[in-house]
This record gives sequence, C-alpha cells and structure tokens, in this order.
Amino acid sequence: MQLAWGPEEEAFRAELVEFLDEHVPHEADAGFDYADSGERDDSDLIPAWSRAWQATLFDHGWMIPAYPPELGGRNCTPVQTLIYLEEMARRRVPRSLHFPGYAIVAPSLLEFGSDDQRELVPAAIRGDTIWCIGMSEPNAGSDLAGLSTRAEVHDDQFVVNGQKVWTSYAMAAQKCFCYVRTDPSAPKHKGISLLILDMETPGIDIRPLRHISGAANFAEVFFSDVVVPRENLVGTLNDGWRITQGSLAHERAGLWVEGVSRLETTIQGLVNLATRRGLIDDPIVRRKLAELSERAASLRALGYKGFSSYAQGSSAPEHSFMKMATSELGKEVWEYGMELQGAYSAVADPDRGEEDGRWVMGFFMSFANTIAGGSSEIQRNIIAQRVLGLPRTR
Amino acid sequence: MDFTLSPDQELLRDTARQLLGRECPAELLRAHIDDPAAADALWLHLRDFAALGDGPLTDLCLFAEETGYVAAPGPFFPTAALFSPLLGALGHELLAPAVAGEVTGTVAVAGADGVWRANDDGVKTFVPEADRVDWVAVVSSGPAVTLVQSPSVRRVATVDFSRRMFEVEVGSDAGPAQSVDPEAFETVLERATVALAAEMAGTARRLFDMALAYAKERVQFDVPIGSFQAIQHKLADVALDLERATSAVYYAAMAVDAKDADRHRATHVAKAAAGTAATRAAKDGIQIHGGIGYTWEHDLHLFIRHAYGSEAWLGTRDWHHDRLAELLF
Repeated sequence: MQLAWGPEEEAFRAELVEFLDEHVPHEADAGFDYADSGERDDSDLIPAWSRAWQATLFDHGWMIPAYPPELGGRNCTPVQTLIYLEEMARRRVPRSLHFPGYAIVAPSLLEFGSDDQRELVPAAIRGDTIWCIGMSEPNAGSDLAGLSTRAEVHDDQFVVNGQKVWTSYAMAAQKCFCYVRTDPSAPKHKGISLLILDMETPGIDIRPLRHISGAANFAEVFFSDVVVPRENLVGTLNDGWRITQGSLAHERAGLWVEGVSRLETTIQGLVNLATRRGLIDDPIVRRKLAELSERAASLRALGYKGFSSYAQGSSAPEHSFMKMATSELGKEVWEYGMELQGAYSAVADPDRGEEDGRWVMGFFMSFANTIAGGSSEIQRNIIAQRVLGLPRTR
Repeated sequence: MDFTLSPDQELLRDTARQLLGRECPAELLRAHIDDPAAADALWLHLRDFAALGDGPLTDLCLFAEETGYVAAPGPFFPTAALFSPLLGALGHELLAPAVAGEVTGTVAVAGADGVWRANDDGVKTFVPEADRVDWVAVVSSGPAVTLVQSPSVRRVATVDFSRRMFEVEVGSDAGPAQSVDPEAFETVLERATVALAAEMAGTARRLFDMALAYAKERVQFDVPIGSFQAIQHKLADVALDLERATSAVYYAAMAVDAKDADRHRATHVAKAAAGTAATRAAKDGIQIHGGIGYTWEHDLHLFIRHAYGSEAWLGTRDWHHDRLAELLF
C-alpha cells in the first residue's frame, strides 16, 4: 500500500496540466457548475466553444487517453487514465457536453460494429457527429428489455415504429443509436436489435421534454415508418441486448472521480453558504457539515481502493457502490443547502434568495443522478445479486 | 494511491485470519465473560505479533481487522495499539520487551469526561485490561507519562465482553513522570484510533457476513429471505458502509505512515466511518436475523456488543465529526 503516485505518474500529470493551462477555454471553467447544464439556453444545447474544445482534446490525444492517437488518445495505462480523470475533475473541466457519442457509441461500435460502422468512431469521439441513444421508452425504464419500439424487416431495410423517451440531446443529434424489437415472439432479452438511425430520416418526430428545472436537454422521439438500411444493423439480428452493456470499460474504474469531486465542491459550497448566513459556528451545522465531508472522503478512499483492484486485474465490486453512493449523498448535500436557508429555502427570486436559488434547483436536478443510468434501487439489486450473491428477486 | 497488499501483507492477513479463526472461537468469548483468564491461551499466540505495535500502521490495521472479526479479548490491542507506541514516543527501555511480547501494558488518558486528552483528573476512565496487564501508563497533562504496576482499579461493566474497561486511580506515590513530545503523543492516539477503526471494520464485516449467510439460508414463505428486496437493499446498504469504512481505515493508515498532511483529517474520517459501519451492521444484522438474533444463545450479540463498545471508545462518531469540523472550517 502506498499513498502517493510515483514520479512517472506525476510527470504524466504535469504534462496534462501544461496542456490544460494552455488550451482550456474559459467557458469550460463553468462547465461543471453546481447545477450542471440545466440552466443553459435550450437553443444552445452544445455550444460552439465546447465543440471546439472537444476537437482540441481529440487532436492532442487527450480525449480518451487510453485509446490510440487516431481515436483521440495516447495509449495510456489505467493509472494514467485515472490521473487524467482526477485532474479534469479537480479543475472541473468537462471533456464534452454530450457523452453518448464518445462514451457509449464509440466503444460499442469498436467492439460490435462492421468495418463501415467503425469508420464512424473518430467523429463520434471528436464530437463532429452528435449522437443520441434510443433506449428508454414510456413502458421500458428500469425494465429496459421490455422495450417495444418495433423494426420490421422489409427486403433490404428495416421499418421502425414506436417511441423513445428521456433521449438526451435528441434535438441536436445527427444520429441515433436505437434499440428496437425485431422478434416480438422471442423472450424479451432475445428479440432486441441495435440500429443506427440518421436523425434526418423522414418519420422521426422530436419533441423536447422539459425537466424539473424548466430546461430541456432531453426529448421524446417518435418513429413512424422510419426506413433504415439493412447495413445499419449493429452486430447480429436479435442480439442487441448484450450491446446495451457497452461503455468505456477502461474508464469505468475511474468515472467515480468526477462524482466525488463534484460532491467535494458542493460541500465546500455549503461551508461558504453557512459562513455567509452566520451559521458556521452553530454546533449542529458544524457537525452535519463534517459528517457530509466524512462521507465524501470515505467514498474517495473507496474509489481508489476499487481502482487498485481493477488495476490488478480483478473485477472490483467497489465500483458497483460508487454510483449509488455518490448520487444519494449528492441529493442530501443539495437538500442541506436548502435547509441552511430556512424560510428562504424555496425562494427562486434571484434578488431575494441565495445564489439564484441554485440550491433548490441543484436539489431538484440531483434526482437525475439517482434515477438515470440505473436507479439507486436497481443499483442495490445489482449489488445484492451480483456482488453479495443473493438469490434473484422473483 | 495504491491499496494493493504486498505479498508480505497478504501473508500477514491470511496468517492472522487462520490463527484467530482457530484460536478465538465464540466459546472462548463466552468463557471469557466470567473468567478473563480464558483469553490467556490466545495471548500466547498473539504475543508473537506484538511487534506490529512498533511497525507500519497499515500492518497493524490488517491484523486488527482480523482481531475485530473474532472480537478477540485480552491484552493484544492495548499493548500493540497503545502501550508500545507510547513507549516508542518516550524512547522507553520497556519497548523492546513489549514488542517481543514479553510484557503487556495499557494506557490511561481519559478523565471523568471520557475524552482521550491529557488531563490531571484523579481517576482515569475507560482503560482496557488494567487489572491484568503488567504495566499501566498513566498520562497526565503536559503530557507526561507515569508507568505504574498494579494500580488501584475498578472494573466498569460495559456491554462489550471483549474489551474489559476499568477506572484507574492516579496514585500520589506513582513515581516520576516522564514528559512526552505533544506531537508524538498525538500520533500515538492517532495510531490507536485508526487501529481501533480497523478492528471495528473487522467486527462490522463479521456482523455483515453472519447476516448475509443467514439471509441465504433462512427460508420463509418458501424462499430464502435473501431473495426479498427489503432484505437485499438493507444488506447492500450495510455492504456500502462496510466498504467505505474499510477504505477510509487504510487510507488513514497510509496517511499516518507517510506522515501526510491529511493524516489528522483521515483519522477522524476513519473512526467515524467505522462507527457508522459497525453500528449499522449490528442493528441491521439483528433485524435480519429476527428473533434468533435477539437471544443469548446466538453468537450475534457478542459482536453487536463489541461494535457498540468500540463505537463509544476513543471518541464517538459525533466527537470525531466535531474534531473534523475544527480541522476543516
């Protein structure tokens, strides 16, 4: 066991820091602001500066460091990748404001795509193509395999009918990674296929969906007789379910860093808030702030411990805990920011409340993290069944 | 930051696990309730590891996690986690026989308020094993240390059968006090606190393992109760607290060993997180066991008792949170 990284790792960090000092656009400093991107103008979902920044990262091999240079990386080791994620999170610099292309589409196509489809990967990572993911449906949320958007095979093409929902960035996307049912008679996990849809195709209707903060960065997407060429099938017909698990495997062990760093930043925001409101000497407030800090600190330790197992080649159960733990703690932290404001906790008037009502808005938006990408309840099921070996719930 | 165990550390952990599993069964804990000499045979094994008291804290924690798993009674913890480090801070000649496992000792610091800060109270509180160890190191303000043998003590019963607690009278004829560097003394207490947190992580793991095993074997409504989501989610939450506590403990141990600037904060984080893990594993463990977990006959209570006894010692969660607050804001 050792506390510090070695000199080689620190040299790597220094190189990254030098690059960031030179290239980070000033807008990126606000990119991970407390309330995330929810307050952004709907019409400017993915602003030009963020697209330029993503391309710069790609061109310098800093977009996905573990990938080779032609895919926006520099063949980094796992430890270097962790240091990269650590440093980006510490400076709160976002790589990209649209994750589906580089984080989901690219690794999935590299693993399952045809030669032609793999040619789409560099543009997905560089952000030149904006992707959305057609997964959730009104009746297929946690039970994703219950999706019912259908694709029927006619001659050399698929015809898609149905509806997706919570589709992030659909309004801005050029392409959609769309999960469809191609065999309604098969058991539900075995009749799903993955198609690449061009969002310009006739029959696709996109309706922005406002979320709780009032902003809209996801949408409902309706498909009416949408024609998709046969060669846009990814992988094998009816074998799409296993591709749903796709993500940046070599970054999964470090993705918690961003969650923990955000928690730490938000807790520091609480300390500042308590100080401004004259509550920082209140013993109850102090104890609560310390407890929140303790929990964030122990999660950081857990993240590193999990990473150590991963770097040694073992599967690391620690990672199953991190999403649930950071998102749940985040909710508490934001809510405590409201509590510290007493009667003013629900005020959204920028002239009367604290900081534009960002605590109440942050609290509302923190639910995204305990619901999206596998709710906390689903995470607990996964921990219980896959990590603890308990029998499946009937 | 690397949590990977070295081959030597893996060997230490595996050796400790085997030894303690064999030599410290629940029957020993039960015999020890009425007769503390029942733990003497265990000490004859554990004395071989007394040198951990003068080595890296990470190694002591690996061992303490296993003593916590079996709720080992006796002089090992006070000798290795408190007495030897204090002797080291003093540069005292008893250190050599203490790390050789030839003499045992304990440390008396807290006064009437139970807080482990040097003070001049006439009665020291929450001193483990004070009646059976060879030496009691009494710490008064300064801090200054007086080594005494056979002081006047009074057993104070706690719920924890594995850690026998005493009040120690500070005698006027105790002999000369030797002053100890305040910073070195603080490190002694920090080491002991992190080692205790490691022990508690071990006890929490034991409670969790028992509850998990029971959830898999206990059948109600024709299925194992572990197939019910209410039980699964409870166990997932216990597992999370256990994992984060264990991680916080080894982070703190590494920070203390490296004399890192974060070590003071990390110590408070470790003890508080271990307290949460141990008491939650205790509470939810008994709930998952249902009626049988409420009986004297079942071994569960031996560990629940140790969890709560440990939570109360060397600073509760609230106390450590308050200290952490002093360091942070």
